[in-house]
Formats: sequence, structure tokens, C-alpha cells
Amino acid sequence: MSDPSSINGGSALAMVGKDCIAIACDLRLGNQSLGLSNNFEKLFQFGDKTFLGLTGLATDVITLSETFRFKNNLYELREERSIEPTTLANLVSSTLYEKRFGPYFVGPIVAGLHSKTNKPFICGFDSIGCIDFAKDFIVSGTASDQLYGMCESLYEPNLEPEDLFETISQALLNAVDRDALSGWGAIVYIVTKDNVTRRVLKTRQD
Amino acid sequence: MTNATVASEYSAEVNHVPIEHRFNPYSDNGGTVLGIAGEDFAVLAGDTRQVEGYSIHSRYQPKVFNVGDDIIMTANGFAADGAALIDRFKNQLKWYKFDHGGKKLSIQSAARYIQHLLYGKRFFPYYVYTIIAGLDENGKGAVYSYDPVGSYEREQCRAGGAAASLIMPFLDNQVNFKNQFEPGTDGKQKKELRYLSLDEVLELVKDAFSSATERHIYVGDGLEILIVTKDGVRTEYYPLKRD
Amino acid sequence: MPGLGFDNYQRNQFLSAKGFGQPMATSTGTTIVGCKFKDGVVIAADTRATAGSIVADKNCEKLHQLAPKIWCAGAGTAADTEMVTQLIASNLELHALAQNRQPRVITALTMLKQHLFQYQGHLGAYLIVAGVDPTGAHLLSVQAHGSTDIGKYQSLGSGSLAAMAVLETNFKEDMTKEEAMKLCANAIESGIWNDLGSGSNVDLCVMEVGKDAELYRNYLTPNVRAEKARSYKFARGTTAVLRESVKNILDIEETVINFTSTADAMEVDA
Repeated sequence: MSDPSSINGGSALAMVGKDCIAIACDLRLGNQSLGLSNNFEKLFQFGDKTFLGLTGLATDVITLSETFRFKNNLYELREERSIEPTTLANLVSSTLYEKRFGPYFVGPIVAGLHSKTNKPFICGFDSIGCIDFAKDFIVSGTASDQLYGMCESLYEPNLEPEDLFETISQALLNAVDRDALSGWGAIVYIVTKDNVTRRVLKTRQD
Repeated sequence: MTNATVASEYSAEVNHVPIEHRFNPYSDNGGTVLGIAGEDFAVLAGDTRQVEGYSIHSRYQPKVFNVGDDIIMTANGFAADGAALIDRFKNQLKWYKFDHGGKKLSIQSAARYIQHLLYGKRFFPYYVYTIIAGLDENGKGAVYSYDPVGSYEREQCRAGGAAASLIMPFLDNQVNFKNQFEPGTDGKQKKELRYLSLDEVLELVKDAFSSATERHIYVGDGLEILIVTKDGVRTEYYPLKRD
Repeated sequence: MPGLGFDNYQRNQFLSAKGFGQPMATSTGTTIVGCKFKDGVVIAADTRATAGSIVADKNCEKLHQLAPKIWCAGAGTAADTEMVTQLIASNLELHALAQNRQPRVITALTMLKQHLFQYQGHLGAYLIVAGVDPTGAHLLSVQAHGSTDIGKYQSLGSGSLAAMAVLETNFKEDMTKEEAMKLCANAIESGIWNDLGSGSNVDLCVMEVGKDAELYRNYLTPNVRAEKARSYKFARGTTAVLRESVKNILDIEETVINFTSTADAMEVDA
């Protein structure tokens, strides 16, 4: 409980479906048990089909989201194309490991489709940049235990975008309801090769 | 560490706080338990792995017991305390029968009595999460769950122990249909509550445990489910992954 | 700005002085082993990564490539084993290019130990280094503080005792490649079943003198999850949605139009 990455609270989650990915987060920002904001989004878009989720200490979430926006802008200027999910993953990893002995207290997740092949990709990291490549789902944040339990039981491979939306939403919603530091609204992005759908979920407000 | 902002650990800063050595009477033996009440039955399930640290002490150490009078009980956490608590309760139940001409102990009386057993050690607690299950006086399934010092509540379902945080939200969702709405009602009408059949409950229990086994290192080896119906107590066993 | 940054160090020290502890880094609990055989060496690892008592990754890769024929198995802090291994792999390739020679296992080991010693054990990398080079097949290990060992069979990680029990019982001199693979896989399996920090699958790598190294990713998969009792697919429309917005991704097609009218062709010097 008394660890920097659980002062502000918040959770995020990514899943792979059939030719699509979904990424979701809650909207809470708090100071220990006191809720401060119900509009603190933890997902950041890079290019058309790639997302970065950042949970943990809010100051580091903001700092890193700006660092990565900056690094991504330079990348796009230099390469004249948008960043691939795998490239972003390695960028996140090396940026975090650069601070090996004074880490940012974050638990990032990356989810996206390859710009040309549209192959789904998701991965997660610990606070010092160790990449967790997963084929099914990635969880992060103060409700990570609950999310592991939900995803491990609800998830099945090759879900269509609409079914994936239900599964990721139910996994997130029920997990954050059992975590005092997460909740207060939720956002889900469904990414397919043709479009990106953003849905704001109806959640408990306690 | 009063000057932590100025000093770093590379300076010759000596830590002057004396080190206290003390015997720790508790340990964590892992494992997870789960109870669900149905309309005319109740189940209490637990994995059969007993651990300490990174070692497996036993792959088959039952921790859910039929304590008599169609009451099933488990106390998960520190195994020695769990065993002691259940032994004490079984013993007291025997004396209750001697003193009252073999009268059957109701589940709510058992529940209240266990509160006193736990609170009786308020300042040197049994380090366990206790759950009991049975049928109430109307023949409806009942599950009671406790914290280590005896605060208790009757519930429809409860997970306890190492993987409680993994299983509990799953139960909210699949037993009490939390966050589920009727399709086409635009999130206005909640999915209607209904009692689950025994078969449905057993499926949920098996999936809850196999999922917990995947993600929690303290859960695995075997799953033992005790089922109470009007016909008495029945036991089922299913293997779980052993890694 | 070469090297690692310490910018957040004082802030984090302040935070821990205020009673906020450090978060848990992913650790590879781990069983890793290595064993020599007649004309080569085998290393193997399990594939479980843990964060405390939770399994963070069920099928992670703990076998890292240092050079085409030098591989290493890593235990300890996952990020450190990965990064230290990538760094030494890069330097080893530069070294091989500069010297115009095949890199040697002892060179890799020396680079690793000097790097780890420099960091006084703060990089939590425990590695079994193995490979073949012009001087033969080698099996070595290095601990986080920089100390190294040489042996015909070795094990490291939380499951090292379970694995070593198997190695001590069944190791023979001059085994065949198949025997060595079997022994290593058995040793890892012992860790998978008996050590809670290890689990899932067995990865294996064989390096034989005069041949290319062979990586057997998921050589054994004794822990495939059985099918669930039920499907938990929800009816569409189960989740309540407040608002929705859709952004379409447009494919921009690019075609090059050639102006090939010969009359307008620019004159150029032949």
C-alpha cells in the first residue's frame, strides 16, 4: 500500500482479439484514499493504431507521457512515418532502464496494430523496463491482481472486436470495483485495421 | 534516515537504529478457499497445496472439513492456526451435543460461536480467513465469512486466502452478475439475479481455481470441493496444475 | 550522456524515507542449468517470470544470445539480465569485428564480470554462460557481484537446488548430445515442479563444436492449461456505454505517374 506506485491509484489493461486489439483504463486520480479527479486518462495514442497505457505515480505518468510524445515527435520527423508498436515497446524499455537506479514508478503497457500487416501486438513492462511479451492480455496498476483473475478466467482467443469490447470492459469494471484505488470511470479503445473506437463506460462512482 | 534528501547511500552514513531480533510465531502457508451458497445447497472449495516460501510442503493437505451437523468449515492462512481453530470448533460441537441431548447446531449459531472463538484471541489472533457453509433453517444455502479476529457476515459467495483478490471480482461478475446489463436496454436495466444450479456453481469453482493456479504461485496441485445438500455432505476432487 | 541516469535517485530516497517503499521489479524466480557433453554444451531454463507471488509472464525467454554460438541463461532481476546481456552482446560483436575473429566464451564472461563488478552487485544478474569458440566448448557462470565459476554442470536461480539434485545424480562424463539435452530438461523440470518460483515450459539451447547453435524454444511444454469448464463470452450490449466515438483510418494510396512523352525529354549530356 505504502509504495509510490499506489499513492494515486489507477489501472490499465490490454487484450488481443481477432485482427484487433483493445486497451482500457480507469479514470481515477487520488491522493491515497481521497479521490481527486474522475477524468485522469492513462492512455496515450501514438500514430493511428498504437496506444501506450501508463499507470502508477501520477507525476511520472505525466512526465513519461510527455517524454514519449517528445521522443515520438522526433522519431516521426526523422523517419517520416509513424512508430510501430514493437518500436515503441523498445523505446519504452530503454527509456525506463536508463533510470535503473532511480526508476519512474510506472507500469506501462503498449498495444497496437502493425502499420502495414495489421498484426496485433501487446506488451507490458515493470518499472525498470523489463518487457513482458504476451499473446493474450496484459494488466497493470493497483488492481493488477484483480485484473489477472478476471482476464485469466474471462479471456478467450480470437474474439471479434464487439465481443472483445465486452470481455475487456467486464474484466476491467469488475476488477476495479474490488480495488479501492481504481475506478471512477473507464475508457476503452478498440483498434481494428479500419477504425479506432473510443467508448466511455458507465461505472460505479464509489 | 533523517537526511535522506541530502545524503545518498554512497556516503559514509551509518545506520544507528539497533536491529531487533524476535521470534515470529506466524507463517504464510498459502492456499485459497472459496464458498458459494445456492438455493438449496452450499459449496466450500479449497486447493490442496500447502507451501512455505518457495517450497511445497504438501500437494494434498485438505483444508476444508466436514465439522459435523452438515456444516463445512475452512480456515485459510497460517495452517497451524487453521487446524487449531477447526479442532477447537469440532471439540466444542461435541460438548454442545453432550450438554444438549444431541441437538443439532444451526448454521447461524455455529457462525456466532466461531466469532467468539476468534475474538477470544483478539490480541494474539488466529492468522486465518475463516469461511463456513451449510444450510440455514429454511434449507437455503448459507455462507459465512470472517476476518482473523471474528468480524463476520452472511454472504452469497466469498473467496479467501492467497488468491482471494483474483477470484473475488470474478465471483461478483458471474454469481451476482455485477456490471452486467440486459442487452438492448442501453445500460438501464440490470441483468436479473437468479440462483445458480449446482452444476453451474461447480463449473465456476473449477474455472476460478484453474485461473488462480495459472497466475498465483501459492495455488495448485488439487482442488477439493465439499458440497452440502439436504442429503448431507459430499466431496469431489479435481487435479490442478502442479508447477 | 552515456550510462545510467540517477536523476530520480534523491527523490526516490526521499520517498522511501517518508515510508513509501520500492515497487517490486519483475524477477525471474527461475531455474537455469547448463551441462557439458562430449563435444559441446547445453543450457536450459524454465519460462516463468514472477512479480512477488504473482506470475507476470507464463512463457518468458530466459535464454539470451551473446554471439551466434555463445548463449547465456539468466536468473535474478529480469530487466538486468536482459539489458546486461544486450549490452555485452553488442560489445562482443564490435570486439569480434575489430579483431576479425570469432568471439570467445571467456571474453564474454570477462566482459560480463567486469561490468557486474563495477556495479557492486546492484545489477541483479545471475548468468550461466555457455558456447563454442575456436578453443572448444565452455560452460561458465557469473554472479551479480562479479564472481565466476567453471564447471561441467551448473545450476542457478531459486530452483537451483532442485535442479542440482538431478544434475548430481545423473551427470556422466562424455555424454552424447541427446543425453545432455535430456539431463538438462529433467533438471529444469525438477525446478518447475518443486520450486514455486519456476514453472511452465523448458527452453533449451545446444552448442556443439563445429556446428551452428540450436535453440529449442519450448522444448518441453508440460503445463498447457486444460480447457475451461465454461465459455465466458458475453452477450453483445452487456456493458453499459455512456458515449462512443469512432475514428476511421483512411488508407492513402500512392501512385506514381510517369510523364514519358519523348518530345519533352530534357537533354542531358551523354
